Amino acid sequence: MKHSLYIIILGGLTFLLAACGKPAAQVPTQYSQLEEQVNIYPDYTDVVVPPNIAPLNFIVHDSLADAFVAQLQGNGVELLASAGKDGVIQMDMAEWKKLLAACKGADITVTVFAKRGEKWYSFKPYTLTVAEEPVDAFLSYRLIEPGYELYRQLGIYQRNLTNWDVHTIYENNREFDNKTNHCINCHNYRSNSSADMMFHVRSNHGGTVIVQNGKAHKVQMKDSTIITAGVYPSWHPTENLIAYSTNKTGQAFHVYHDEKIEVMDESSDLLLYDVNKNEVCHIMRTRDDLETFPCWAPDGKKLYYCNANVSSLLNPAFEDSTRTQQLMIQYDSIYYNMMSVTFDPKTRQFGEPQMEVEVASKRKSISVPRVSPDGRYVLYTQGDYGQFHIWHKSADLWVKDLQTDSCYILTEVNSKEAESFHSWSSNGRWMVFASRRMDGNYSRAFLAYFDKNGRAHKAFVIPQEDPEMNVLLLKSFNVPELTKDSVTISTADIAKCIYETEAENAKYIPNDATFRHQGPKADGVTGASPKRK
Amino acid sequence: MAKVKPNKSTKSVAKGSVTTPATEKKKRQLRLPVLFLFFVAVLLWSAWYYGSVFHLSREYSFWVADTRQLDFILSCSFGSLRYVGRALLMTYKYPWLGGLLMAFMLTLGTWLVGYCWRLKAKWRAIQYLPALAYMGTVTFYGLDIFFEAETGYIFGIPFLALLVLAICGIMIRSFSRKKVHVLFAIPADETQRDNLLQLAVCLIGFAAIIGYNEWKRPYVRVITQLASMEQKQDWEGIQKVARAHAYQSNRPMACMYAIALVHTDQVGYRMYDIRLDYDSLYIHGMDGTHNNASNMYIPEGDYHGGFPESCMHSCMEQMVMEGPKLRLMKLYIKSALMRGEWELCRKYLRILSDVPFEGAFCKKYSAMVGNDSLVNADPEIAKIRLTEPLHDSFESMYQAPLFMGYNLSLVEGRSVNALYNSLCVCLYTKLMPAFLSRLEPIMGSTPPDIIADGILLASTKSPGLENRFTGLNMRVPRIQNFMQQIQPYLSDRPGNAYELFGKYKGYYPYYYFFGNLKATKKGYTGQTTSNSGVN
Repeated sequence: MKHSLYIIILGGLTFLLAACGKPAAQVPTQYSQLEEQVNIYPDYTDVVVPPNIAPLNFIVHDSLADAFVAQLQGNGVELLASAGKDGVIQMDMAEWKKLLAACKGADITVTVFAKRGEKWYSFKPYTLTVAEEPVDAFLSYRLIEPGYELYRQLGIYQRNLTNWDVHTIYENNREFDNKTNHCINCHNYRSNSSADMMFHVRSNHGGTVIVQNGKAHKVQMKDSTIITAGVYPSWHPTENLIAYSTNKTGQAFHVYHDEKIEVMDESSDLLLYDVNKNEVCHIMRTRDDLETFPCWAPDGKKLYYCNANVSSLLNPAFEDSTRTQQLMIQYDSIYYNMMSVTFDPKTRQFGEPQMEVEVASKRKSISVPRVSPDGRYVLYTQGDYGQFHIWHKSADLWVKDLQTDSCYILTEVNSKEAESFHSWSSNGRWMVFASRRMDGNYSRAFLAYFDKNGRAHKAFVIPQEDPEMNVLLLKSFNVPELTKDSVTISTADIAKCIYETEAENAKYIPNDATFRHQGPKADGVTGASPKRK
Repeated sequence: MAKVKPNKSTKSVAKGSVTTPATEKKKRQLRLPVLFLFFVAVLLWSAWYYGSVFHLSREYSFWVADTRQLDFILSCSFGSLRYVGRALLMTYKYPWLGGLLMAFMLTLGTWLVGYCWRLKAKWRAIQYLPALAYMGTVTFYGLDIFFEAETGYIFGIPFLALLVLAICGIMIRSFSRKKVHVLFAIPADETQRDNLLQLAVCLIGFAAIIGYNEWKRPYVRVITQLASMEQKQDWEGIQKVARAHAYQSNRPMACMYAIALVHTDQVGYRMYDIRLDYDSLYIHGMDGTHNNASNMYIPEGDYHGGFPESCMHSCMEQMVMEGPKLRLMKLYIKSALMRGEWELCRKYLRILSDVPFEGAFCKKYSAMVGNDSLVNADPEIAKIRLTEPLHDSFESMYQAPLFMGYNLSLVEGRSVNALYNSLCVCLYTKLMPAFLSRLEPIMGSTPPDIIADGILLASTKSPGLENRFTGLNMRVPRIQNFMQQIQPYLSDRPGNAYELFGKYKGYYPYYYFFGNLKATKKGYTGQTTSNSGVN
């Protein structure tokens, strides 16, 4: 009697396991061809992928089917993976790598089979093109809720794109403590290498953490002439210098609008910080021009940035104290152009500002210029107004070809949701950016191939071991940055620097950058700054 | 084998007393199954009496089996305990189910205390103290057990205690072979006196717990009942409960009551049926400081007030600080549906679908995703749509909370409901110039009672105003009478407010002179103390 019971239980469990489990990963011997395209999540159909990327695991959405098999074929190598009713196709890492290696510079054909009832069907195949050029293996990003004002648990992490490893660079307090709670943001590296890294700590234990030679120290850029502290950074490619914008930023929350949040700068300038000397000076200090998002050219002889002239929006009859309110009610009339200024690394002198891309007259606005490592392209975000484009659905990626002086939209990588905070891989063939396209709220890191002809290809979200994590994760990927190598400093050492050291005050060096833009008046109609010669 | 001492009845026989087997049997019959009675009492307490509190605690919690999604608690101290506690709390979707589990755990724990501590019959009353202490602690903390707090501890602590006791019990049983009593059976060594002592301890314990709650925390059950009813869209129930506790006064209660009135078109008639003086609540934020409980009603107020964007804002801020919460996720889903953010709805519904007992909610709202007609046909949403703003602006342009501040500044409304809401908010804030400036569209009509009384009150300073409306004449004698009668009380309005409430309950002029005097001075809400910035 007892034995019978055990057999029944065991049999039941076996049946349950068999019912819930995956089918064998083999191509069905008999199947019918469907005319429909397979519906997979994330959308990895017809994308160009790096030869060193982790498996592009996906979920097949087909409510009629209860088992799936994916067949990936290319250059005589085959990879098979299967899924149960949940449709989660997870590929074997070693087999995937073997397939990618065999198909470098060639196509992989992906055929998905679905079992509906007792019959197998195959969807129309799609293609993965394996590029010759690898992507930088490490992707740093911040994980934070797409919040409004408050922050609590957040961190900067580094993902190895060739596998599933994630390293925590730094996390703030997991357990809430109002006295130690702080925000971390704007992580940045020099020339796609983790050897030189920085990020800001705001609020408690505040300062800018700079990591060099495996050691971290904390500095503070404060002076009565500096608006706040260093904000958006760009590390000089050859000198130990960092260009920062310093921004007085505010935000407002829409009551009845497609967008949720509007982040505005009331004022902003550009700074130059000398890491070796711990000295800071102004690159530009202006009243009615808002300069932000500095970015060095790869040769270090030019600094690109965004600039909005708001003099036409400010009523001289009103006091300065009303500046925020005045700008807030005209938030959708603030337009940024892309400008540049030359720089002599030897003398450390800047030239006069030059207009690079003028869009304000078209009632458009530019943010986050990022120059490709070969110095030929500037990748930027263009939206309808403002500069915090990650909250603007109109924000799309554009490039300026510096060789032909032409600008064009990267239609293949854009979506109806926001794209922004992009960066290049060290070989200039890959770009990574944050996009809210998956649900309109939670940004995810997307990769896209940028070929030698300056054409971008369809973007795809960075792969996850469990592809459903893109749905389940209640945090946004912020500021994705690619690096060739991994961060070597330990999380504990960074925490020690933040918690146990006081930020060293940078010495402010006055210079002639003060009110550099105060000469020629801006265009009163468009609000655009004039082109400098 | 443990040596068992003879009980008193055995002793009395030994001493040659006159106790006969018949009387001894009678005595035994008088003994009550105290542990069983204790179980029933705990069940009644945890399901019927305090069930709404635990139910709302569950709604302010979040649990799914997938540990990756609960990493934010699992990576903290006592993470596993919080995880298990949250899982058990999910049973409180149905208070009787949760109550049954709670009662079983506390009773089993009680029984194990007696066993593990080897309590003699005369000391066995002690075994009830830990469970009573737990219930007392829960009662003492009141709203604090879930408000900006770790909800995993509600069940986690009794679970841990039970686990420790069970391990001890198994060890004792294994090594000492101490005899185990059957759970609900009356132990043979208990005398009637021992039995009565246990009963007395339990009775005193329960009386103290319930007495304390009724004396010091009477609002806890009311607020949680109202909040639960708000989720069930039981507008009539909210009004009934709120009016039954009209003398209690707190902002969450007032907000839930106002929401129910808005949904039943009664806001212009019954708003002042409850006291609106806002007594201080025992409630603390996550930083441990006294809190104004605004997080308990602002998301709901924004949503039902026609501001889904702002509702999402306040929901997200709370979830940033404390992690996902079922109640906020549900509000977020409904707000996202109103905004047509289908993919966002799908995401949250997918996450919610893994939470035990949330199938009905997911089914109802999944059907609306991608279907504007279905969204707009939902009675709750249809009513809220009537008061959505016509134009965009920024939250910071209005006094907080937005659902009040916006209505104070309303210049253009989508419907007459929006106008009535605005007029009622003006009257609530006693800003008569703002009230007067918004009367134009309803001139020539008979306004709702409260607005009518507001007009009559304003007409004392704006003679002839009442003639621009119909149906006000019959209200004039009452206000004249009121103005005469309150004269002696005007010298000490705060002191006389409570006393006069019973007499003038529901009458706006009473509120105008005697109601909400503290809030008039202090404003609606305090500012958050949390760190904030551009993220």
